[in-house]
Amino acid sequence: MLKIDNLTKNYGSFPALKGLNLEIPDGALHGFVGPNGAGKTTTMRILATLMKPTSGTAYVDGTDVVKDGQKARKLVGYMPDFFGVYDSLKCWEYLDFYARCYRIGAEERKTMTRRLLELVQLEEKEDEYVDALSRGMKQRLCLARSLIHDPKLLILDEPASGMDPRARAEMKGILRTLREMGKTVLISSHILPELAEMCDSLTILDHGELVFSGSVEALNDKMNGNAPLDIRLTEGCGEENVEAAVRCLKEMPAVTEILREEPYLLRIRLENGADVCTDVLRQLVMKGVPVSDFHRAPMNLEKVFMEVTQGA
Amino acid sequence: MLNPIMAFSATRRMRSFKTMLIVIAYVAALLLLALAFLGSFIPDAVYLNTMTRGPMCYLALLIAQFTLIILIAPAMTSASIAGERERQTLDLLLVTNTGSFRIAIGKVMESFAVLALLIVCGLPVMSLCLLTGGVSLVQILIGELFLLAEAFACVSIGVFCSSVARSTVLSGVLSYLVIILVGVITALPFLFGYPQKITDVVYDRSLYAALTPGEARIMISPLLYMNPGFGLLSLVQGELHVLTSYTEYMGWGRILCTWRMADRAGWVFIALASAVGMLVIAAILIGLASLMIRKGHKTKSNG
Repeated sequence: MLKIDNLTKNYGSFPALKGLNLEIPDGALHGFVGPNGAGKTTTMRILATLMKPTSGTAYVDGTDVVKDGQKARKLVGYMPDFFGVYDSLKCWEYLDFYARCYRIGAEERKTMTRRLLELVQLEEKEDEYVDALSRGMKQRLCLARSLIHDPKLLILDEPASGMDPRARAEMKGILRTLREMGKTVLISSHILPELAEMCDSLTILDHGELVFSGSVEALNDKMNGNAPLDIRLTEGCGEENVEAAVRCLKEMPAVTEILREEPYLLRIRLENGADVCTDVLRQLVMKGVPVSDFHRAPMNLEKVFMEVTQGA
Repeated sequence: MLNPIMAFSATRRMRSFKTMLIVIAYVAALLLLALAFLGSFIPDAVYLNTMTRGPMCYLALLIAQFTLIILIAPAMTSASIAGERERQTLDLLLVTNTGSFRIAIGKVMESFAVLALLIVCGLPVMSLCLLTGGVSLVQILIGELFLLAEAFACVSIGVFCSSVARSTVLSGVLSYLVIILVGVITALPFLFGYPQKITDVVYDRSLYAALTPGEARIMISPLLYMNPGFGLLSLVQGELHVLTSYTEYMGWGRILCTWRMADRAGWVFIALASAVGMLVIAAILIGLASLMIRKGHKTKSNG
């Protein structure tokens, strides 16, 4: 459905995107994660035809968004991170206006407006003024607006930002419904756990570069391989045993960092990709270090995000 | 299908109490002016004979409306695009299938519709001039057409400036400056140099007598046809004999030459040509505005 091909964007001399390549299949709910300034919004604005890339291009259902913006706009629904609403306009009029902008006929407009208000659970607010809605409701109304022309690809830039937990849960529910409807959804956030809960696959961007792209499971596997090792010595075994363990670990070239987290707990980091856990344990035992527990430190998604984006 | 921007903005504007107040204030101001000139509201306030009251009232109403439009149009259009940008709704419009040109023309038509409403509402007041004689219905209708063209040009300037400016305030200021600039630039032939040929013709009685309206129309600078002030003067020239005498007295040769040339070219023609000239300016500015809506929208994203 979406193919991003070597997409680059520079703001003056500042590179916001550095040759991004990405493919998202039909019907996927794909998360786009990265810290502020990673290039998420820039990528999404290019896909929504609001911005031209410096080089490279992207295809939505085979349509080049750079060369054929008019056609691409029919295929893409876009919800920006910040948006305003018009005052003196009722909810149904708001949707009707955008439907007119997409040149949708009167009958279809009426049907679509009703259907979308139901989808975003705002059917009771049909005749209420837009500026009287809560933030969460406005977000949902904007989501309905982005669906008014029945796009194949939906681009949602931080749709849940600033929402309370209930509104977030409602938004997640709507996104699940959209997936069931067969829409391809590209959704951004800087909160990885939030996206991991609902997305099939993820892309992590940092400083305009792709750091990871794949399934949530693949990300977990990859990060667990790089997780630090926790070595707990027998409680009260004495300082000399701890020092012996540290000496032993320092002699191993694969060990890059040794931290004493607690009096009898050492946390070590290994070289990227080094599969030497068994060796580490064997060496410690051979040196007579009383090891009582030996395991990888648990990595939650927040930590994964910090690791991947080098913010730790 | 009706331009959605226009239809939607008109709905919002017409719902606003402010619009109704503007229409009432506009018509009330014109009515007061008309009554003052026609002598029924302030008896004996103007010491002119009865026959000149109608034409003078027409002159005053036309100048008043001309000025009001110049003052109102930028204020009305300053937020048309810049306001969308400030409100963060422009992105939502640009991702639809409504092209930039359609957005620009929709914004122009939306503001023009309100100004046209004001001008049409002022028509019954203008018609009061017919009561005393000295002004024809055709004159009034040409005056209305001219004002409509002026309103269209002014809102086009406003929308263009709004598409360029980052804020509504800046857009308003820029609009007034551009209107003044258009007025000054197109009036340059009045002030600086006419070909020797024109002065030769005007000051030679036989040559001037043989001059056909067609020849005179060609000799007048095309730039001058785009000057709204020139168009306005041509509409009220019948009431401006004092001006002719004054320029003659002061020795302002260029103005006098233009005046005489315009007299030969035909005042109605000048007024209509000026209206067309303003529409040409409007068309150019709408085209530029539609380019600027997208090009001027290079906001740096935060993610």
